Amino acid sequence: MQTVKKAPSRFPNEISEIEVQRDLSKCINCGTCAKLCPFGVHERKTGYNRVSKPLSYRCIGTSCEDKPFYCVNHCPRGALSLGVSSEYRTIGDYRWTRDLIIGTWKQAETGIPLKGQRYEIGNSGGGFDRISFNFPDDEGRGERGDENIGQNAFLPSDDTGISTEIDLNKREGTKISIRVPFYGGGMSFGSISLSVMLAKAKAARAWGTFTCTGEGGYPEALKEYDDNVITQVATGLFGVMEDTIQRVKIVEFKYAQGAKPGLGGHLLGDKVTAEVARMREAISGSSLFSPFPFHSVYSVEDHKKHLDWIKELNPNAIVSVKVSTPTDVDMVAVGSYYAGANIIHLDGSYGGTGAAPDIAKKNIAMPIEYAIPKVHEFLKREGLRDTMTIIASGGIRTAHDALKAIALGADGVVIGTAELVALGCVRCGNCESGRGCPRGIATTDPELSEAVNVEWGAQRLINLYAAWRSEIVDVLKRFGMRSIKELVGRYDCLIENHEITQENDEETKL
Amino acid sequence: MPKKYNVEVVPTPPRYIPIGKFEIERGEDCINCGRCAIVCIYEVHKRQDEDLRCMAEPVAYRCKGCFSCVQECPQATLTIREGTDYSRLGDSYWTPEIISTNWYQAETGKIPVSGAGYRGPFSGEGFDSMWTDMSEIVRPTRDGIHGREYISTVVEIGRKLPAIKFDSQGEILSHIPPTINVPLPIIFDTLPFEAAKHFDPTFLTFDENVYGAMAKAASDLGTFMIVDAGDWFKSEGHRGQSSHIIPHISHLTSHSFDADWIKACKMVELEYEEDVMTVVNEAKNLNPGTIISVSVPFGDNVEQIVEELTYAGIEVIHLYADLNGKAFNQTGKKSVTKNASIKDMTLEVHRHLVDLKIRDDVTLIVSGGIAMAEHVAKAIICGADLIAIDLPLLFALECRYCKDCQEDLACPVELKDVDPEWGAQRIINLIGAWRNQLLEILGAMGLREVRRLRGEVGRAIFFEDIEKDTFDTVFAMDESYDANG
Repeated sequence: MQTVKKAPSRFPNEISEIEVQRDLSKCINCGTCAKLCPFGVHERKTGYNRVSKPLSYRCIGTSCEDKPFYCVNHCPRGALSLGVSSEYRTIGDYRWTRDLIIGTWKQAETGIPLKGQRYEIGNSGGGFDRISFNFPDDEGRGERGDENIGQNAFLPSDDTGISTEIDLNKREGTKISIRVPFYGGGMSFGSISLSVMLAKAKAARAWGTFTCTGEGGYPEALKEYDDNVITQVATGLFGVMEDTIQRVKIVEFKYAQGAKPGLGGHLLGDKVTAEVARMREAISGSSLFSPFPFHSVYSVEDHKKHLDWIKELNPNAIVSVKVSTPTDVDMVAVGSYYAGANIIHLDGSYGGTGAAPDIAKKNIAMPIEYAIPKVHEFLKREGLRDTMTIIASGGIRTAHDALKAIALGADGVVIGTAELVALGCVRCGNCESGRGCPRGIATTDPELSEAVNVEWGAQRLINLYAAWRSEIVDVLKRFGMRSIKELVGRYDCLIENHEITQENDEETKL
Repeated sequence: MPKKYNVEVVPTPPRYIPIGKFEIERGEDCINCGRCAIVCIYEVHKRQDEDLRCMAEPVAYRCKGCFSCVQECPQATLTIREGTDYSRLGDSYWTPEIISTNWYQAETGKIPVSGAGYRGPFSGEGFDSMWTDMSEIVRPTRDGIHGREYISTVVEIGRKLPAIKFDSQGEILSHIPPTINVPLPIIFDTLPFEAAKHFDPTFLTFDENVYGAMAKAASDLGTFMIVDAGDWFKSEGHRGQSSHIIPHISHLTSHSFDADWIKACKMVELEYEEDVMTVVNEAKNLNPGTIISVSVPFGDNVEQIVEELTYAGIEVIHLYADLNGKAFNQTGKKSVTKNASIKDMTLEVHRHLVDLKIRDDVTLIVSGGIAMAEHVAKAIICGADLIAIDLPLLFALECRYCKDCQEDLACPVELKDVDPEWGAQRIINLIGAWRNQLLEILGAMGLREVRRLRGEVGRAIFFEDIEKDTFDTVFAMDESYDANG
C-alpha cells in the first residue's frame, strides 16, 4: 500500500529558484529572521552565536511579502535580500525546464502536486507544450500559481469515486489492470543501479502498477516483485531465459527505443562487469551489441512466431510490443495486433535513454504527440481499437503530459525520465561517460551507486506517483469524468494553444 | 571482398584549452574540506599542488554540469553558471553547442553520444522542421560489430545516362560523360572568411597552413576541396598536388586560363554569369575530361537558372546559400521571402528537375549553413547529391567564430600557425564522425547506399505536413487553428 511520507532531497543544498542572501557586513545575528520564518529558512542553532547560512530551498519567495513573517522587511538591519540562484538559471533545458525538474523534485519530496503552468509544461514550443486543456468551466479557481504557498496548503484531492484504473489487456487471456494510468519504463541493470531498480519495483508494488527490467537480465533481488515486473525481450536477447518469461505477468517485446530508433545498443566492454556478464550470459569485459532489428523478424508472421513462443512458455502472460514511431507506425500497430499482442507501446522520438547518438535523439522518427492519434485513429478505422491497449511513452514529463497523451488516444503511459528526476537526476546527460552517472542513479559503479538508498528512492517515487494521481483526479473532476477511461481519445478536451510561451524571466517575479 | 572505405580517426587534442560550458566559482568561505573533490568524478576540483591544505581553482572546462559539488558543499559556497565565453560563442545560427560539438568531433573522431532524452526545441526553422524516418523491420544494418561498413556512402559527380545505346556490333554509341566517384557525399567548400589579407603581411602563411591542412585531409579522405583559383592554388598547382582540388573561378570576364591546371584538375568550378557557357566551352575544349561545375547562388529564379544550365549541358551545379543557409537577396530584385531556407530551396530545385525528367543529367552540390552531420542527411533527402561544408572545417582547427580576424584583430587560436598535419587529422576526425552519423541515419532506414537517399522525401517527416495531418483531425473543433499560421 502506498503511503506518502516526506522524503527530502539527499543533498545538503537543494537547488531552488530563490537564493536568500544575507549581507554579513550588516547582519548583527539578532535572530529575528530565525524566529519569524515558518519554513525554517533561517536557523540559529543552539550554542551558536551566528545565524546559519539561509536554507534557500525552503524559501517560498515573495509570496509572503505581505505576511508578518516576511524576513526581508523585518530584518532590523536590512541585511536580507532575495535573488534568483545561479543554479536555477543554469539547470534545465527546453524540454525539461528548470521548473519541471525542480517541480518534480518537490513532488517527490512531498507527494503533493504543484499547480501552475510552469510545473505543467515545458518550453519546447511544440507538442504537449502547445496543448492545453479545454476545461468546461473554470469557476471557483482563483489565480493559478498562488496555490503552492507553504506547500501544505494544497492537500491531495478527495478522490472518492474517481477511478484512475486502466486495463492492460482487452483481448482474451489474463485480465490485468493497474491502479494508475502509468507504469515504469524499461531500464536495464547496467544502465541503472540495482538500488534504483529495486526502488522502482517497490513503488510499482505500492501503487499496484508495473516496472520493467529493460534488456539485460532479471536480477535475483527483483524476484519478490515478480507480480509487478515486466521483463523485456529485446533484439540482443540478453538475459532472456525461460524462467524470466515464466515469472512475470507481462512480457515486453522491444523492437526499438524512441530515443535511438533503428540503431540497436552497444554496451562497452569495461561496463560488462562480472555481474552484468553473468546476468546477460556473456563474457565479462567483452563489448555487447544489441543488433537492429530482430534478425529473425522480417514479417508479421515472423513476429507472430515470436509472440507465440512467449505465450507457449507462459500462457498467462500478456505481451506488449514496444516500437518507436516511424511514419508507418499505424501499420506496425495493426501488424502487432495480428501477431497477437495485447499492448502496443509507442515510444516517441524525444524519449529518454542511457546513451544514444545525439543525431538519433533529435532526428529519427516522430514525436509521440503525432504517433498517438495516428495509431488511435487507424485502429479505430480497422475496428481494432477496443481490442488493443495503446501505451505511450517518450517525453511524458508530468501528469499533464500523461493526461494529454490519453486525451490524444492512448490508454495509459510509461514514464522513465520523470522517475529518475524524482531520484535526483539533473539531466546532465552523462549517464554513459566515465564511471557513469555522477549522481549515482544511472551507474553500476559500486561507490557512486551507494548514493541512492532503496527505501528513500521508493518513497520518492511513491510520492511522485501520488502527486501525479492527485493531479489526474483533479483534472478528471474538472471535466466531470468518473474514470480515466472516459478521457481516451477525447480530442475535444484539448485545445492547441499557439500563444503559450513559457515565462522564464524570473526577474519579473522578484 | 573489396576493402571497405574507412575514415581513420586518431584522437587529436586541441592546442588551446577549450571553452567549457560551465563556470564554477568557489566562495571565500570555503573551508578546504575537499568534499567537492570527492564527489566530482570529472576532476574539476583538486587540491593545490603547492599547498595541499588549500583547494585549487576549479578546472571549469572539465565540468559537465552535474551540480554534485554545488549541492554537496557543506558551506554551500560553490556556484555554477553557464560561462560567458561559452554563451558568446558564435551567433544564433552557429550556436555555442554546434561549435563545441564540432570541436569535440574534431578532437575525438567520435560521434556525439549522451544520456537522457533530446533536450532542444520541438521543431524549428529550416532543417529543424524535418525528421528522418526509420523502419521497425529492415535488413540487418548492425550485426554485431559488422553491418555498418557495408553501407556505401559513395556518390558520383557528373552526368548520369539513363541508358547506354549500342550499335548492331555491340559497340557503345552513347557518349559517356566523365564522372568522379567520391567516397562520401561531403566535399570542402571555399572558406567564408580569411585573415584580413590586406593588413596581415603574413596572410600567405595562413593560407599555406589552413589550406595545407584542408588539402591533406581532402586527399587522405579521397574527397575534394574547392578553392579560389588564387595564389595559393597556383603555387599548390605547381607542386602537382591538384588531384583533390577543384579551382573556383569567380570573375569569368577577366579570367585567364592556365591550360595546365585545367588539364590537371578533374573538376573546375565557375561562378555563374550570364555568358558562363562560353567559358565552359573554352574549358571543355582544353580538356574534355574535366568536369565543369557552375556555382549558382540560391535566390530568385534559381530553378530557372538550373534548368537552363542543365539543358545547356552543365553536368554539375553547386548551389550555395549564405553562411546561415538562407537565400541571397539579389540587389535590384525583389527580395526572396518564401522558401528562403536551404532545405526548402533544395527541395524546390530537385522537384523542378524531377518534373522536367532531367534530374540525373546534373549533380547538385549544396552548401551554406551546413553545420552538423544531420544537415548532410537532410540536405540529401531534400535532393542534394552531395554537400560542401565550410565553417565546420575551421571549427576543426579550433576556430571560435569570433570574427576578430574580420576586424583585423589577432586570431585567439592563431589559425595561421596550425600545423597542417595536426589540422588535417582534426578535419579527418570531424568528417569521420559526420560520416558515421550519416551511417546511423541510413542504418535506421535500412538503406545501404547514400545514393538511394537522394530526394527520398518519403524517408522524411516534415513538420508542416505531419502537424496538419495529425492535428487537423485532433483540433478540428478549433476553428482558429491554422496549420500554416
